Amino acid sequence: MRAIIHVDMDAFYASVEQRDNPSLRGKPVIVGGHAQRGVVVAASYEVRPFGVRSAMPMARAMKQAPHAIVVKPRFPAYAEASEAVFNIFERYTPLIEPLSLDEAFLDVTASVGLFGSPAEIARRIRKEIATELGLPASAGIANAKFVAKIASDLAKPNGQREVRSEETVAFLAGLPVSRLWGVGPKTEEALKHEGLETIGDVALKDSAWLDSRFGSSGRHLWELSHGIDARDVVPDRAARSVGAEDTFDEDLTGQEALRPHVHAQALRVARRLRRAGLKGRVIQLKLKFSDFTVVTRRTTLREATDDGQTLYRTALDLLERAHEGRALRLTGVSVLLDEEPPQLGLFPAAPPRSAKLNAVLDRIADRFGTKAITTADIAGADASDDGAHRSERPVDKPRR
Amino acid sequence: MEFRIAADELKKALYRAQGIVERKTTMPILANVLVTANKGGVTVTAFDLDIGVVSEHPAEVTKPGAVTLSAKYVFDIVQNLPDAQVTLKKLANNYVDISSGSAHFKIVGMAAEEYPKLPKEESAPLVQISGNILLEMIKKTQFAISSDETRYILNGVFFEPQANGKVRMVSTDGHRLSLIERELPGDFKLKSGVIIPRKGLMELKRLLDEAPDAECHLGFAENSALFKKPGLTMVMRLIDGQFPEYQRVIPKEGEKVVLVPKTRLLESLKRIALLSADKSNAVRIGLAQNKLIITASNPDLGEAKDELELAYRGSDITVGFNARYLMDVLGVTDTDEVSFELGDEHSPGVLHGPGDRSFTAVVMPMRV
Repeated sequence: MRAIIHVDMDAFYASVEQRDNPSLRGKPVIVGGHAQRGVVVAASYEVRPFGVRSAMPMARAMKQAPHAIVVKPRFPAYAEASEAVFNIFERYTPLIEPLSLDEAFLDVTASVGLFGSPAEIARRIRKEIATELGLPASAGIANAKFVAKIASDLAKPNGQREVRSEETVAFLAGLPVSRLWGVGPKTEEALKHEGLETIGDVALKDSAWLDSRFGSSGRHLWELSHGIDARDVVPDRAARSVGAEDTFDEDLTGQEALRPHVHAQALRVARRLRRAGLKGRVIQLKLKFSDFTVVTRRTTLREATDDGQTLYRTALDLLERAHEGRALRLTGVSVLLDEEPPQLGLFPAAPPRSAKLNAVLDRIADRFGTKAITTADIAGADASDDGAHRSERPVDKPRR
Repeated sequence: MEFRIAADELKKALYRAQGIVERKTTMPILANVLVTANKGGVTVTAFDLDIGVVSEHPAEVTKPGAVTLSAKYVFDIVQNLPDAQVTLKKLANNYVDISSGSAHFKIVGMAAEEYPKLPKEESAPLVQISGNILLEMIKKTQFAISSDETRYILNGVFFEPQANGKVRMVSTDGHRLSLIERELPGDFKLKSGVIIPRKGLMELKRLLDEAPDAECHLGFAENSALFKKPGLTMVMRLIDGQFPEYQRVIPKEGEKVVLVPKTRLLESLKRIALLSADKSNAVRIGLAQNKLIITASNPDLGEAKDELELAYRGSDITVGFNARYLMDVLGVTDTDEVSFELGDEHSPGVLHGPGDRSFTAVVMPMRV
């Protein structure tokens, strides 16, 4: 029987701010960008009763909670805290699938003999996060990924919930169909049209009937409603790409303005590649224009790399070809990871000249934070930090 | 220029040029050979800026001179002449009349002055060598030369004279390595080894194959090699760079050693590799009590297994290999049995003659 824990940090960015600044504790805190254009990046539990949620436009949040304290995001601090959290996960299992900076699936099936029951492991992880990092986390425990995720959500804040396999169907039965994995507004609408409001309603139908109404996803819906979800926890190492992207506070036009952002993204990706001991040859640049259209451009290098400057130069070539002088909301740099070649080599590959420099930069960043040392263009444009809303772990999983 | 020559002689000269002239080149004249007639006879020169071959042939020269002609077309013509003799005569504007018996060809040539000059390598200290031994050394190393142009250092064979009158030749593509050491006495006056490029080595092999017993000389100067045999001179530019420290990757003695019948193993690899996945030639080689087991599996096709009986009492082990790499070695092995040494799944396999490491091949495993 599989044992999967879904750990989700509570109001992660806001909790980091409250931890680092005692005067914010117990107060309604909004971590967010520009008051007009920006969005809420995180909302502390104290401000949630006023209806403030992350991703909500700042202007609206301020209307609903004018008394809230607004804090500018400090992404390097969150990245650091995230790393510490994941380090705690690693004490219990190598099978960790990160969903974002503050959320992950852990397969602890094989850890039970060493550390006790899955619920006990979840308790220990949450306790260590609380005592060592001073941050609250919630956990859901189940034998399927989507059930664990629902359970952690229901356990929030600062709680945990276990759904035993024999309880799964009953647990799900009362929940709205929108909780099912893969059910978006459209499917939800269609399900409701058939009179299926809760997951229990779906579970009562037979799969042939669901097939006739919902085609290929009918079977999938039936399985999920019975708590059947065969998806495995896919560890980060098996991820196919590593990327970083930023939504700008204001749309940007022109190479001059974009370069520092692309540079910072390239350096972030490279740092993460090196930390994971990975390299890739296929470099991709993602551009989202002011009209929300997205283009991606990719190119393949001769040799796999984990060097930020190489990524930057490559991304810049792509940018020059794809930019066309249009205003951009977002840029993203990502690297597709090389699969390990089956044939072993006789000679260990000579490290490229950049390896030494990168190792030193990594050590400085580890010790003093990623802002301690950076390139002049990034420092000048302040692209590495407050200028944008960034997402650090947009890791594409192999599709199952 | 006008001379009369035996068609077979001209054919031989042009055959030697075929592997050297460039067909696709930005310099059209490199697709040509330089034909020079003087009192002593005729020379035919082929040069691709890296490798040059000058072939000397007896001919009845009535008017000395020189011209360049398409190596390919003239070779085709000479192979289809009606008579055993052929006459070449330069006309105006570098046209050349080729006549033999009743047949006449009027061929467009290019001016001899435009042909690039071969480097002069008279300073090279020449060493008389056995063509047969050099030929053997080439045959037993050429298969492991890398064809990956990004690793140009490995695009040739390392030629390294030893202190004891022997010469070592080593090739590797980074996945496997072949080393041979043979008696090739003489002072090459080399401070260290040199890297002979693949194309030059293949041409050298062709020239040696013509008459392995002929008196041969080999020498090195600056960054080129010089090879001479009666009626023929070859120069080639060497690969400039540092060959990897090959000694470090040759294991001293494997933990698990078996003596395998060569032909049996070769045939077995051939049939089992038919079922390797994605044309990777990946096979698993297992050692168990007194047998060697070769297996392969292909998710689309199925599985294959073969067994060889042999003397083995060590612990069981299975290592993945590219069957092609092993077959390349076995294909040039002269002995009936071959000593096969294995370490673990990540250690190289070593093949050499029983009790004789003078020809040793090292093959890295595959993850299977």
